[in-house]
Amino acid sequence: MSIVAHLPRRALTLTEEEAAAPPTMELAGRKRATAEERALATTIFGEFHADSRHREFVLGCLNCGECTTGCPAARFYDFSPREMLQIAQNGDATTLWDAMQEKIWACCQCYTCNMRCRFGNDIAGIISVMRELSVRHGIESTRRALAPFGRSLTLLMTVGTQVSSDMIQPDFFRDWGPFATGSDKVWQVSADIMRKAIPSDVLQTTRSAWEVSVQTSLELFRIYEETGVLDMLRGLDPDLTEMLVDIIEERREEFAEARERFGEELKGMQGPVATFSG
Amino acid sequence: MLSANEIRKVVEERNVHQRGTGKKVLDVREEMYHLEEKGELIVHRIRPENRPVELRTLFGWTKRIPTDRLWHHKSCGQCGNIPGYPSSLLWLMNETGRTYLNEPHQTSCTAWNYHGTATSNPVALAAVAARNFHRAYETDHFPLIHCGTSYGDYKEMRKLLVENAAVRTKVREVLRKMGRDLVLPEEIVHYSEWVHAMRPEIVARQKHPVHGVVTTVHEPCHYYKMVPEDAVYDDAVYAGQRPAVPSGILLALGATVADYSTWYDCCGFGFRHILSEREFSRSFANLRKIRPMVEEAHSDVAITSDTGCVTTLDKSQWIGKSHGLSYLLPVLSDVQFAALSLGAHPYKIAQVHWHSASAEGLLSKMGIDWRSAKAEFQEYLRALKNGAAPELLHPAHGEIEKFFAINKGQVLPDPEVVPALSAGSATTEGGPAA
Ligand code: SF4
Ligand code: SF4
Repeated sequence: MSIVAHLPRRALTLTEEEAAAPPTMELAGRKRATAEERALATTIFGEFHADSRHREFVLGCLNCGECTTGCPAARFYDFSPREMLQIAQNGDATTLWDAMQEKIWACCQCYTCNMRCRFGNDIAGIISVMRELSVRHGIESTRRALAPFGRSLTLLMTVGTQVSSDMIQPDFFRDWGPFATGSDKVWQVSADIMRKAIPSDVLQTTRSAWEVSVQTSLELFRIYEETGVLDMLRGLDPDLTEMLVDIIEERREEFAEARERFGEELKGMQGPVATFSG
Repeated sequence: MLSANEIRKVVEERNVHQRGTGKKVLDVREEMYHLEEKGELIVHRIRPENRPVELRTLFGWTKRIPTDRLWHHKSCGQCGNIPGYPSSLLWLMNETGRTYLNEPHQTSCTAWNYHGTATSNPVALAAVAARNFHRAYETDHFPLIHCGTSYGDYKEMRKLLVENAAVRTKVREVLRKMGRDLVLPEEIVHYSEWVHAMRPEIVARQKHPVHGVVTTVHEPCHYYKMVPEDAVYDDAVYAGQRPAVPSGILLALGATVADYSTWYDCCGFGFRHILSEREFSRSFANLRKIRPMVEEAHSDVAITSDTGCVTTLDKSQWIGKSHGLSYLLPVLSDVQFAALSLGAHPYKIAQVHWHSASAEGLLSKMGIDWRSAKAEFQEYLRALKNGAAPELLHPAHGEIEKFFAINKGQVLPDPEVVPALSAGSATTEGGPAA
């Protein structure tokens, strides 16, 4: 039997009294959770404990604080992996909901806490589970936290790489100084020429980290469709998701046309290149 | 808060759980072969053609590192913003006569996004990993992972795919829809492990001695804190108390590897922080890493072996001036440093101009005439602007490869095609059957 089954647990639903109470970890100045939010908190709490990873990642805690001692985020934020683990293990729906508003996004995912924890807890992992839930339920604070990621998400979903040299725009990365963009200004040639000077054709693009073949990007999108990622994203940002679907539709047409164009050369080939239809 | 008795109970039950499942110390590689026997997956084996070298992991397990016939699993952060990182690695392979494929048929692991925004899930991550593994398998080239996060993520995904039948079934189902199958490589290999295995051959080609250079190493967290049991350790490096990479190659080249108090700290990358909360990344990088590297260790250069670490440590420094932190310590990957020491062109190959903290002082210390190299590079840029063909480390891919995941036979290194950049390399080979 799983050890988690033995641990003392709070009820998955809030009592009337609990539901009426303000969040226990409410930060100064934050508005009280609405009834709708409290209901959502209860749902999330249930899903969190039902996730099989909870049983695997949360193995116990002595409150020793070893994890927090090495945590980079704890040095600069009101955040502690010990607290996150305690919430995961012993918290109720309200403390979990509160932690999911802001704190979970402080974590750097460096895994230092995991390495130090004598219990072998996967603290970074359980924080990711909390993040996944906040994305899946499209909670408002998560939308805000992820607002700056539209461009990198678009790249990720359509070509499967997350950085391109044309993302490193001087006005957004002013703090990186004048040399961070391959210093095309310093060398007085265009960004395209700076990329051409990289000695691999696959890397000579400004629009993606490397050139990704159409088949590869369509296979990736198929993964997103089949594993619920696209639906997850639709809940968070429907407009972005529709744009991505449009881009992929165009790419599917392009792929079909290419199949006709290169028909002769593809003849007799086997494996995915022969069977994948986009 | 649990009572003392409850805590005792939890500890005991945890022990039972760990003994029962072998959790945390199970060598998933063994289980992989059992699953293969049952027809659940295919193990991509390291073959004699891959010229493997044996290294040791933290737990003393043997890890075979293929050194030839490799499939480059590139890093999106390296290629997008510090391209001298992958080009130095390709160059070292050409120099040492190793063959490889560098294809457009790879996606990133997508784990930067997962660790930054959580807009994915483990099944999707596992499917992405398995798709790339299958692509490497069908080319008969062994995957070599450039990024520390991809390396850590792929080890987590391997574990998940081995231990969780439901995830395995789902991923296999998804892969079959694209004509692929579930393949796991015999080993998940980080490029720095290749560098460590290749130390003797790399050092044999050294042109610029680096005895006077004081390096400080930043150990990438996802290399050794994520699935720690599989990271490579070596008694000759910090007496086996710290990971062998990337310190091993620096010691072999003759550089000083200096210690500093915060070696164990992360770099401050944070996945989302480097894009949307850089005030954290730059504070952490400057105060917790660069300052001790310079003030405690009097470092000439910080060396690391991961994408995010080079980016954060390097690009966060320029703004430090506004707070009186004017260190501008050069930050390079181990392969850039090694390639420079072997005589690689600082701009055409090591591409040091993409870094914020100038490496030119370091180049002088290494005895490299960067001024002439810079003038030559400027000339090269002018030629490119006027339509000259770029110099390449491997032959360019065909038009058809922009669309289809095939390989028409990338032959590497080919002195006929790439005379300018692959001098010294001798091996050629035909590409895989398309
Ligand atoms: S993974 Fe997150 S919680 Fe753990 S030490 Fe790193 S920043 Fe802190
Ligand atoms: S290191 Fe482990 S046991 Fe100690 S406080 Fe952190 S989570 Fe709890």
